[in-house]
Amino acid sequence: MNEQPGFIKNIVKKGIVGAIVGGVLFGAAKAFGFPVIFQYMFVAYAMLGTAVFILLDAPALPTLGGMKALVALLAFYLVLSVVYIGGASLWPQYDPEDEKGKIEKLLAAKRKASDLGKAEELIARAKSLSEKADAIMQRLQTLGGPAVTAPAAGGAKAGVSAAASGDLVALGKEQWELQECYNCHKLYGQGGKKRGPEMDNIGNLMKPEEMKEKILYPRTWMAEGFEKEYNKKKMPDKYKDLMEDKDVDALVAYLVTLKNPAVKTPKPIKKQ
Amino acid sequence: MKTWQRSLLMLFGLLTVFGATAYAQVPDAPTVEFPYTGNRTAVWIVAQLHILFAAFILGAPIFVVISEWLGYRKQDPRYDRLAKEVIKVTVILYSMTALTGGLFIFVLLATYPAFTSWLINHFFLIFAVIYPLLFIAETIVLYMYFYTWESWKGELKARHIALGVLLNIIGTVTLFVIDGPTSFMNTPAKAEGASIVEFIQTATLWDKVFNYSWMPLNLHRLVGNVTFGGFITGLIAAYMFMGAKNDSERAYYDWMGFVGNLIGVGALLFLPFMGYLLAYELCDYDASICPYMMADQLSMFFEMQGAMVGLIFLASNYYIWLSMKRIEGVERVRVSVLAVLVMIALPFVMTYVWTMYPVPDPRSLAVLLPMVLLPVVLGRFIPFTVSSRAAIKVSFLMVIVGNAIWMTPHGFVATGAKLVEELELPSDWSFLALMPAKNSAAITLVFVTVVSYFIYNRAIKQGTIVWGKIDFASQFVLIFLAFSAIWTMGLMGAVRSLLRKYFHTYNLLPDFTAESFTPTLAYSAWWITGITLVFYLVVSFAIILTLRVSESKAHAHEGSPAPAGAK
Repeated sequence: MNEQPGFIKNIVKKGIVGAIVGGVLFGAAKAFGFPVIFQYMFVAYAMLGTAVFILLDAPALPTLGGMKALVALLAFYLVLSVVYIGGASLWPQYDPEDEKGKIEKLLAAKRKASDLGKAEELIARAKSLSEKADAIMQRLQTLGGPAVTAPAAGGAKAGVSAAASGDLVALGKEQWELQECYNCHKLYGQGGKKRGPEMDNIGNLMKPEEMKEKILYPRTWMAEGFEKEYNKKKMPDKYKDLMEDKDVDALVAYLVTLKNPAVKTPKPIKKQ
Repeated sequence: MKTWQRSLLMLFGLLTVFGATAYAQVPDAPTVEFPYTGNRTAVWIVAQLHILFAAFILGAPIFVVISEWLGYRKQDPRYDRLAKEVIKVTVILYSMTALTGGLFIFVLLATYPAFTSWLINHFFLIFAVIYPLLFIAETIVLYMYFYTWESWKGELKARHIALGVLLNIIGTVTLFVIDGPTSFMNTPAKAEGASIVEFIQTATLWDKVFNYSWMPLNLHRLVGNVTFGGFITGLIAAYMFMGAKNDSERAYYDWMGFVGNLIGVGALLFLPFMGYLLAYELCDYDASICPYMMADQLSMFFEMQGAMVGLIFLASNYYIWLSMKRIEGVERVRVSVLAVLVMIALPFVMTYVWTMYPVPDPRSLAVLLPMVLLPVVLGRFIPFTVSSRAAIKVSFLMVIVGNAIWMTPHGFVATGAKLVEELELPSDWSFLALMPAKNSAAITLVFVTVVSYFIYNRAIKQGTIVWGKIDFASQFVLIFLAFSAIWTMGLMGAVRSLLRKYFHTYNLLPDFTAESFTPTLAYSAWWITGITLVFYLVVSFAIILTLRVSESKAHAHEGSPAPAGAK
């Protein structure tokens, strides 16, 4: 029991030191131009350090046994579960809705070619025929009444998408997003992590067929200054399996429009 | 052909024709849809549970046999008792591994029949012949090992240890074999310039098994299993310590917890590097996996991993701190000031060095190796020392600093697409989010933990351990370590599976179901916690059943307070 006042003193002392360290880190982070969220992150580390150093000099826990030990154990598991679920929930969460539409588009062609896709197509056709038959029946019943428009074959969704508009460049831009080219290539100053060259002026440097060759067979061309990345085969050799030919054409059509000489897109070198 | 033979043949023919016709008329089986969880999460739960049990039954025997050998060599009965108690729990959990394995196959077949058949067909020899044979061999050897414990004593002990070694060889081969299809799903075999779809049609079984991530996964799981086995031994010891009826029992289980934790932490030190190797190979296989992991959909999973790793290292150092408190004469132990200086300088120096000479450039080793060896080589010649207590406090500080570096993200967003200036690291400090800084953080965590154990080792040479007198809080630390290690395994298991994105087998077999998206970290955390708790419940039951209930026999003298030299 006589350890108690000493422990409280310890908490107060370490708490003050922790608050000072937290304040210094907060101020320094602000001075160095860290956004607010990072400033709070540094304060959180100071708090964690404070808790750890308080714990180091905490008095020994009395030995528990029987029911007391069991209750302490269950409470401990409960606290751990809440802390881990809560901790994970505090981080920014990826919204799966952002991905769902993308996956549907990416897999559309493969789905169509699969047994599942063929079955779905048959069902859709049957449904469409049934709807048409219903419409004819309705028209016959009304005899001279207003015509009933049959729905589009295949139950295609209405909407203004790149595919619907038929704009090849817009389709190509969509492919750029879908295939996540931005993860490696910078464009308009956005994206990229130096894994691949900036693309803003690629339209002035490569012909469409050369671009297509590079996408489908990445070893055929190398960007000047990217020898290391080329040797490490950074550009995935997978698009011939993942992309439809028309999608590659659309992507190329988009890339051809990128003609900004102000950006130093490295010169492509023919390799194989 | 005789008449009866002809009749029998005709009967079989008719049965075949009518049987096939009748079968063909059977309507399709209804599709399975798991309520509440959905099919993917149902498979996830069963698979993760199976992997947790399997990890224990593969990891525990590795140090069980080492412990048995140590007992034999040192003639210390505590090691033999430890080994036997852990193998008792292993035998119970072995049946749970088989049970969850069978359940896993049933759930997989019911929910993803086309994919399951496709995978089995690709690895038919493994699934139908090699794996079952290995499993049978392992079952036979495990039970032989367990049931010959008492009869193969004395002169026959070496034979018993050899049986334990054989058990581990079979276990390791089983792990490596089943890792073939598992790793294939992440990095299916491919050939340069060729279409992966076409290549896979002609690839041999070896081509498919020996894929990019197979060996890194083998190593990662092997080391992970030993870590896991060590921490579960710590858990067993903690439970038994809490329920101990006398000082002798408490002393023994205090010692057992220490040994389990020592092995767990010892293997843990290699785990970040094994994980790094696996991630390196995955990125090498397809560079687009890297941003998906570190900068996009799964980036926050890695933040959580960083938090867990930091907590595990803090806890393992805290256990050492509490262990030091029960050593009489620890206050006399002093450490070279060089050790403290290297601990402080390491993350900063190595961040700079690895930025200049990225891994695996050997020039970085020219700085790293002399630096970490400096306290050992020059320490004895330099008279400046600090108390062991102060040195360990510095190591705690550096665990926090190292973890802060590990966890500093490029941006506080779950996807690079939503990164804005207010959430992004300033460009002057963006190096904190790059691999050189992360590697230096990992090496700092490992180094300070090694220093802590080095100090502990020196303390027990100069003082006397009073086994059983450890702070009761240490038992919660052991439980925490086991819980956190299992939770982290669950998290990283989810990450490895999610890396396949919207494919069952990456780039090869798409997942057309509506569940093929990346789940949120919060959703994943709920299930990981649930799986961990279920696993804990079963393990706790196994421990109570095998050790507490059968505890009536007295264990003489094994755990009496011992001088340091007798450990």
